Amino acid sequence: MKRRVLYSVLCVLMVLSLLLAACAPAEEATQAPVKPVITEEAAPVATEEPVAPPEEPVVEEPCLIIGALYGGPINDAGYNQAMHESVAAIAENIPCVKIIEAENVPEEAGATTTMENMISEGAGMIIATAFNHQYPALELAGKYPDVIFEHAGGWEMSGNFANFFGEPPDVWYMLGVAAGRMTETNKLGFIAAFPLGWSLTFANAFHLGARSVNPDVETTISYTFSWGDSAKEAETTNALINQGVDVITMHIDSPATVISTAESRGVYSIGFQSLHAQEFAPEYWITGSGYTLGGTLTWLTSTVLDGTWEPIFLRCGLWDGCMALAPFGPEVPQEVQDEVMAVGVKLESGELVVFQGPILDQDGNVVVAEGEQLTDDQMSAVNWLVQGMIGSPQ
Amino acid sequence: MTLLSILGVISSAIYSGTSLLYITLGEIVDQRSGIVNLGLEGLLLISGATGVAVTSITGNPFWGVLAAVAAGGLTNLILGFLVVTRRGNQLASGLALMFFGFGASALIGKSHVGQKINGLARFTIPGLGSLSPRYLSLLQFDLLIYLSIPCALLIWWLLFRTRWGLGVRAVGENADTAFASGRNPRLIKYQALFVGGMLAGLGAAHLTLAYTLNWTEFMMGGRGFIAVALVIFSKWHPVRAIAGALLFSGAVAFQLLLQASGVSISPFLLDTIPYILTILVLIAWGGTRKYSAPASLGRVYMGTE
Repeated sequence: MKRRVLYSVLCVLMVLSLLLAACAPAEEATQAPVKPVITEEAAPVATEEPVAPPEEPVVEEPCLIIGALYGGPINDAGYNQAMHESVAAIAENIPCVKIIEAENVPEEAGATTTMENMISEGAGMIIATAFNHQYPALELAGKYPDVIFEHAGGWEMSGNFANFFGEPPDVWYMLGVAAGRMTETNKLGFIAAFPLGWSLTFANAFHLGARSVNPDVETTISYTFSWGDSAKEAETTNALINQGVDVITMHIDSPATVISTAESRGVYSIGFQSLHAQEFAPEYWITGSGYTLGGTLTWLTSTVLDGTWEPIFLRCGLWDGCMALAPFGPEVPQEVQDEVMAVGVKLESGELVVFQGPILDQDGNVVVAEGEQLTDDQMSAVNWLVQGMIGSPQ
Repeated sequence: MTLLSILGVISSAIYSGTSLLYITLGEIVDQRSGIVNLGLEGLLLISGATGVAVTSITGNPFWGVLAAVAAGGLTNLILGFLVVTRRGNQLASGLALMFFGFGASALIGKSHVGQKINGLARFTIPGLGSLSPRYLSLLQFDLLIYLSIPCALLIWWLLFRTRWGLGVRAVGENADTAFASGRNPRLIKYQALFVGGMLAGLGAAHLTLAYTLNWTEFMMGGRGFIAVALVIFSKWHPVRAIAGALLFSGAVAFQLLLQASGVSISPFLLDTIPYILTILVLIAWGGTRKYSAPASLGRVYMGTE
C-alpha cells in the first residue's frame, strides 16, 4: 500500500517536473520589458480647454457630485479607460466636483440600480458611457427631473438628458491615409466586433483614406462577435495576417490583444479608443486615435454649475480636442506624418469631406449620389461597405 | 485559397488548439476518476489571471506559467473538497466553482487589465530558417505548443500504462471495487483532480501568456465548456483529444478565413460553424459500449462500509 501511494506521488511529481522543464528555456529568451512613454500632448490638438469657473482650493462640501459609470474595467487601455480619463479631467479642472465611479456595469438592469444608488448618494449629474446605458438613463431622467444625464454616443434627447461624443470618421480617414502609405502588401485588415452601422462607417472611412493615397489597396473586415473576447481577437488577427494583411486596425472595446498579436507577428497596427494602445506595439505602431473628452465634459459640468446647462446633441472632432491622434511610431517616415496632418487640416476646413458622393458599394451600386454627403443619422445606419473592401456588411 | 492561407489555417489551428488540448486533457483526467468538472471555466479564469499577474510582477512568463499551473491544481482541490470530502453534488459544486472563478479572477486580475506582459518566446524548428519570412512567421511556435502532443501521449501513458492510471480508471468505473482491491478512492480522486487542474492551468497559461498576451475579464469565452464537449468527442481518450482540439480550432480558423476572403455567407452563420461541426460529430459518432463514459461518472462516492 505504501509503495502505491509513493508511486502515485511520484507520478504527480513527474508531471510537475515535466511542466517545470517545459517552461525553463523561456526564461532566457524573455526580452526586457519595453515601456515607451506616452505623451498625450504630442498630438496636434487644440489644447485650450474651455474656461472652468475659478474655485476656492479648499472646499468642504462638494459643489456637485457626478456619478459616472462604465461598461468595462477602467484600465482596459481602450474605450473605458479613455472615458474614465475624460471624467477624471473634470475633477482636475473643477476641484470642488466630487466623482463617484462604477466600472464593469455592462448590462441594463445593473446600470439602473447603479445610477439610482448614485442619485441617492447625492449625484446631481450622471455620465453614462456604455452603449447599453442609454435607455436605463433615459428612463431615470424621467423619474429624476432634477438630475442631469449625459450619455456618451447616444442619440436620444429629453429635458434633462443629452449626449456627447467625439466624431471619429474624419480621424479614421486620416488613419487610413497613414495605413495606405505604410502597407507593402496593399492589404489592410479591420477587426470589428459586430457589423453595426458605426463600425462599418469607421471601416469605410479608413478604406477611403487609404485608397486616396494608394489606389491598389484592399481592406478586409472580420468580425469577432464580441466587444471583448481576447482569444477570438487574437485568432482573427492571426487569420488576417495569414492572408497577407500587413496593417491591422480595429473597432472593439480594448485594442490591447489585437495590437500585441500584430506586434508579435511583426505587422503594423493602428489603435483606436484610447491613446494607451501604443504601449502594446513599441516597434510596429503606426498611429492611432482615442477619445479625449475631458475638456468637453469640463465645459458641460461648468454649465451645470452655473445653471446654463441645456440638452444639446454634442459632437466634436479632432481639432476641438475631443479626439486626439496618438504619436506616430518609429517606422513612420516624416513625409507620411506630414501628409496625414495635411489631410487633417483639409478635413477640418471642409475642403475635404470623407463621405462625399459619388461613393459606390462593393457591388458597384451608388450609395452616396454625386454632390451628396452622408449625414450623422445615415452614418449610424450604414449597411454597406465601399468598393474595394472584402468581407460582408451584414 | 492560396498555399499561404491554407498554411495559415493550420498554423492558427495549432496556436488556438494548444490551450484547448491542455484543458481537454485536464478534464479527461478529472472525468476518468469519475468527477465531472463543470467549474473548468472558472478554474481557467483563475489560472489565467494568476499567470498574468505573476508574469506582470516578475516580468518573467516562466513564473507566470508555474503560477497558473499551481493555481489550476489548487482550484481543483477546492472542487475535490466539495465533491469528495463533503460529498456534494458534482454539477452544483462545479457550477458554484465556475461563478467563484468569475469573481476571484476579476479580483486577481483587476490591476493587470490592459497591462502589457512578456509572452513566452517563439522559435522555429531548427533547419527551417531558410524559408521566406512570410511562411516562417506561421511556423514559429512557443515551447508549450511543441510540448502539447508529447503531453497528450504522456497522459495516455499515465492513464493506461501505469498503476496510478489503472487506479484512476478503476475509481472512475467503480469506486467500491477499487476500494475492495486495496485502493483509496478519495485519495485517488484528489490526485486526479490535482493533475487535471494543473493541466487545465497550463492551457490557461498558454492562452494568456502565449496567445492573447494580456488579461481581460471573462476572457476564456466558454473554452471551459468547449473542453467538456471535446472530452465526450474524444471519448475520454487523451490521444483522440489531439484530433478534437485541432478540428475545433481548425474550424474556427477556417470560418475566419472564409469571412476574410469575402464569401457571401452571413458572418453570423459562419461564426457558428465550429459549434455545428461539434454537434454533427457527436451525432455521427454516437455512443458505443466500448467507448462510453466512465461508469460512475458524476456519481458521489459515499464511502465503502
